[in-house]
Parts: sequence; C-alpha cells; structure tokens
Amino acid sequence: MIGFIVLAAVLIAGAVGVVAFRQPVHAALSLVVTLLALAVTYVTLQAHFLAVIQVIVYAGAIMVLFLFVIMLLNIEGQAPAPHMTWLPPAAYLTALLVAAGIAVTAFIDRAPLPGADAIAALQGGSAEQVGTALFSHYVLAFQLVGVLLLTGIVGAVSLAHRGAATEQRQRRDREARAERELTHG
Amino acid sequence: MVPTPYYVALGAVLLSIGMVGVLTRRSAIMMFLSIELMLNAANLTIVAYARQWAAQGVDAAISGQAAVFIILAIAAAEVAVGLGILVAIFRHRVSTDVDELSEVRL
Repeated sequence: MIGFIVLAAVLIAGAVGVVAFRQPVHAALSLVVTLLALAVTYVTLQAHFLAVIQVIVYAGAIMVLFLFVIMLLNIEGQAPAPHMTWLPPAAYLTALLVAAGIAVTAFIDRAPLPGADAIAALQGGSAEQVGTALFSHYVLAFQLVGVLLLTGIVGAVSLAHRGAATEQRQRRDREARAERELTHG
Repeated sequence: MVPTPYYVALGAVLLSIGMVGVLTRRSAIMMFLSIELMLNAANLTIVAYARQWAAQGVDAAISGQAAVFIILAIAAAEVAVGLGILVAIFRHRVSTDVDELSEVRL
C-alpha cells in the first residue's frame, strides 16, 4: 500500500505539472515522468509486457516526437486568455465531479480481488501471453492497427511534404514578382 | 495487494487533471499533451480491471492487456497525424492558439 501511495503521489504531481507548467517543454518532460511512473504501476498490476511497451513506445518514441515538434515550432508559453473568465472554474468543477463520480462508483461496485493463484496464472502478463492472445483471438484487430499505423505515417508525411511544397511555391512566386517589379518599374 | 478501486480512483484523478488541461489551456500542443494524459488514465483503468478479470480466467485478463496494447498503437498513429496537422497549421499561421483557429469550424 505504501508503494501505491508513493506511485500515486508521483503520478498526480506529474499530471498537475503537465497542466500547470507554462512552458511546453517543461509540461512535456512532466508528462514523461507521469508515463514512467505509470509503467511502474503496470508492473504492480501484473502487466510486465505493457510496462516495457509503455516505456519504449510512449516515454520513448511518442514523447520524443512531441519534444521535436515543440523544438521545431519554438512555441513559447503564453498568458491565460483574458476573456472567458468563467471557463476555468467551470472546468475545475466538471473535473471534480467526473473524478468523484468514477471513484465513488468504483468503490460502491467493488468486488473482491481474485485469489493469489488466479493472479499467479497471469504470469505477470508476459510477452508470450499477450502475444498469443494478439495473434490468435485478436489477429484481425492487430492487422487493422498495422494498417492504421501505415495510413497515419503516410498521412503525416504527406501533410508535412505538401506544406513544404506550398511554401516553396509561395517563395518562388514572391521572388518572381519582385524580379518583375525590378525590371518593369 | 492493493484492491482495484484504488487504481480506478487514481485513473479518475488523472483523467480529470487532463480534462482541466484540455479545457483551460489555449495552445493546441498543450491541449494535445493533456489528451495524452487522459488516454493514459483510461489505459490504467483497463489494466486494473484486467487484473480483476483474472477471476474469470487467464484469457479474460490477457484480453484486457491486449486491448491496452492496441490502444497504445492507435495512440502512436494519432500522435503522428496530430503533430503533422499542428506543424501544417503552424506553417500557415505562426501560432497554435486555438482561439485564433476558430474560423476553421463550419
């Protein structure tokens, strides 16, 4: 239980940091802390393979992508909006209601944990177990996710590429116009 | 072992913190980070209930973990496309403030 409390404290501190930090880089690093703590939480929940995947895919690949984009766009932190002053209190109230509702429901509707032998049969959610499920029962979902990832990559590349092409054309047009103005008048 | 409701409550708290971020931040990239936080809170809840389902047999529990694996892959695709869109918007407008993008809506 003490371990859980420490993990929960790290998770919540990291999550508050994501929302509260003004600079996007700080918020992203705070999210990395949260994701790593979440990976440890997965280990305590007998999902070892997912913990490894969480570190490699989320804290590794996805957050690097985020940091790259933040660096590329050079986004500065900005002051909160002067208008819509009613929005933050409403957001806090909604969030409080949602959290309290889910937590209360979970505690009211609780069931006893399965016995130690049932949990031991999970073998800590090893790669073999999850892989067997993915490649037998859920092979269609697995293949579809592969197609989705491919589509996502193609979409992202074409978005970035088309942007570059438009920019190049605009620059060429501008240069041509400047040259025309120079020669004609 | 810590009972499932504690993990679900923790997931609910993380979800609500992410929700506050989505609702109050104006920079699109900060909203995106908050959405990732909400997604991970949901994942935590699914993994917690997967352990609870071990009472119904190993297959039920491993199904929950396989679902989280697929969600992770979908999140990766979502981030790639979302950040691509952000970069494309930034090229045109030199800002990711969602208030200035309000004419995008129909």
